Amino acid sequence: MRIASRGLPLLVAALAIAYPFLVPNYYLVYAGALTVMYAAMATSWNLLGGFTGYVSLGHSAFFGLGAYGTGLLVVRAGVPWVVALLASALLVTVFAVVVGIAAVRVRGASFVIVSIALVSMMNLVVQGWRSLTGGSTGLQVPSPFPGLHRGQTHMVFFYLFLALLAIALASWWYVSRSRFGAGLRAIREDEDKAESLGVPTAAYKVTAFALSALFVALAGGLYAVWFGSLDPIFVFSILIGSYMVLMSLLGGVRHLFGPLLGALIVAPAGEYFLIALGETQIHLTATGLVLVLVVLFMPDGILARFTRRRAGPSIPDETAEQRLQGVTP
Amino acid sequence: MVSLLLQGLALGVLTGGLYALLASGLSLYFGVMRVVMVAHPAFLFLAAYLTYTVHTAFGLDPFLALPVTVPLFFALGVAVQRLLIARLAPENLAMMSVLLTFGIALTIEGLLGTFYTGSYKSVSMEYATRSLTIGGVHLPYDKIIAFWVAAITLVVLFAVLVKSRFGQSLRATIQHREAARLVGIQTERVAGYGFGVGLATAAVGGTVLALITPFFPASHWVWIGKLMAIIVVGGLGSVIGAALAAVLLGVVEGLVLVTVDATWATMMFYVFLFLALLVRPQGFFGGRLAHRF
Repeated sequence: MRIASRGLPLLVAALAIAYPFLVPNYYLVYAGALTVMYAAMATSWNLLGGFTGYVSLGHSAFFGLGAYGTGLLVVRAGVPWVVALLASALLVTVFAVVVGIAAVRVRGASFVIVSIALVSMMNLVVQGWRSLTGGSTGLQVPSPFPGLHRGQTHMVFFYLFLALLAIALASWWYVSRSRFGAGLRAIREDEDKAESLGVPTAAYKVTAFALSALFVALAGGLYAVWFGSLDPIFVFSILIGSYMVLMSLLGGVRHLFGPLLGALIVAPAGEYFLIALGETQIHLTATGLVLVLVVLFMPDGILARFTRRRAGPSIPDETAEQRLQGVTP
Repeated sequence: MVSLLLQGLALGVLTGGLYALLASGLSLYFGVMRVVMVAHPAFLFLAAYLTYTVHTAFGLDPFLALPVTVPLFFALGVAVQRLLIARLAPENLAMMSVLLTFGIALTIEGLLGTFYTGSYKSVSMEYATRSLTIGGVHLPYDKIIAFWVAAITLVVLFAVLVKSRFGQSLRATIQHREAARLVGIQTERVAGYGFGVGLATAAVGGTVLALITPFFPASHWVWIGKLMAIIVVGGLGSVIGAALAAVLLGVVEGLVLVTVDATWATMMFYVFLFLALLVRPQGFFGGRLAHRF
């Protein structure tokens, strides 16, 4: 069991690194890069959602802001793309702190409302501010690697997204073992009690919110220079935000590799549906139905079914009743 | 300038009436189940599309769709509550119900997009295209009709909630579920009917919406933002608060629409949402949750 739990991630990591050389064509490299991008975003989402239980449906706001921030810095200010990427991610993080201070004051359903409102607002701003952003016609971002052809660019970005995923996973792992992580978990179990025990709940929540926004913004920035054209309707869509939630829930929000597993299922399935069913809206229905089924029948995710909380750094999720059953004969 | 402001004010009041009707459904769901029903606007557009079909296929007046859509939506509401929402675990009902209804919304949006395509549809009636002019202020007939339909529906809704035995049980369930159960109210059944009534208001709202504005499947997201802002400003769960907030935000929207532009008019909803959360998270008109009607 121990060997399996140690060895399996290493094997998967090796396979992931070799992936672009194992697949027969560049389309699959592209699909792989997209999947890894979603995995990185879902893992980042889980830095907030998994630890604190706060469900944000609006993380695509940070994705879009990261993308537009990077794109605008490259196009309008002529900044090198790496600098633009880092600068815009930093700006988005500051923005997330400001929004977070307002957003995390409210709990439960109201927080979800705020998160949905955030995406709609950003969409309105970017479409309305035509002189800066190009409005609904979108923004064209020049390729960072003009020497490479399209397929090679996909390959480069596959590894960039893989690096981002690794950083996000490492952050989650580090937080899960830290005092900060313990505080966040206490917030999830009982926020009032955590507060009364001296956990600085507001500061912790804002930090988790901003950290999670930072990685999503980095993914957005990479997406901007990778794709080269930004469409406000797609970039600020609720759908991207809901993918992050669906992937995390499906895999298991309380496990390090839960969102990654969810992304490995949802993202390729989404791409497949897009090819098989064309540009109809039926993929929305598929996503919606899967979400309904997961919420109803598998709210703890796939990993919760297979691991009995032994393998991997996962968070125990016993209820008081279960604990009571454990001690009473 | 004065007539422009008057125009904005009048339009705002008329639209605010419709907003009040649409937000009342959300207040009901939140009241009976503590559920934020993100799918309400999706059902609204489902009703709008059904109205569109009735109108284009049979050439009937859009309001003649109501005898079909209202009972249908009532049944759908009962089904959604009994088959889906009642199954959720109570510990994290708020979050899970939002995700569940979000999934329902995506499902409906996808189906509408598949059956009706993603392009704009509209239902326009000869009688609704003209407008009434009073003292330099133009009031389109379709907006007036929408206002009156909303007003009548709201009055009926209030009468049901205040006078009928079902309304009493529903209010008792909202105020104190356990106590209501103790005095013999079948709260599960009442909650189901509460959902049914909420969706029935969406059926009426959708028909009105089809008459006054063009619609496409993805436009329900805009309405989620607007309606959520209204119920947060009004105080989650308070039907009266939601109605007051609806008219207030309708007027603000109308005034900004005539003086600035449409983007800022929509933006005002979010500005008010954030203001309400920062200053008075319990809402400006509602008081504690759903304790009054």
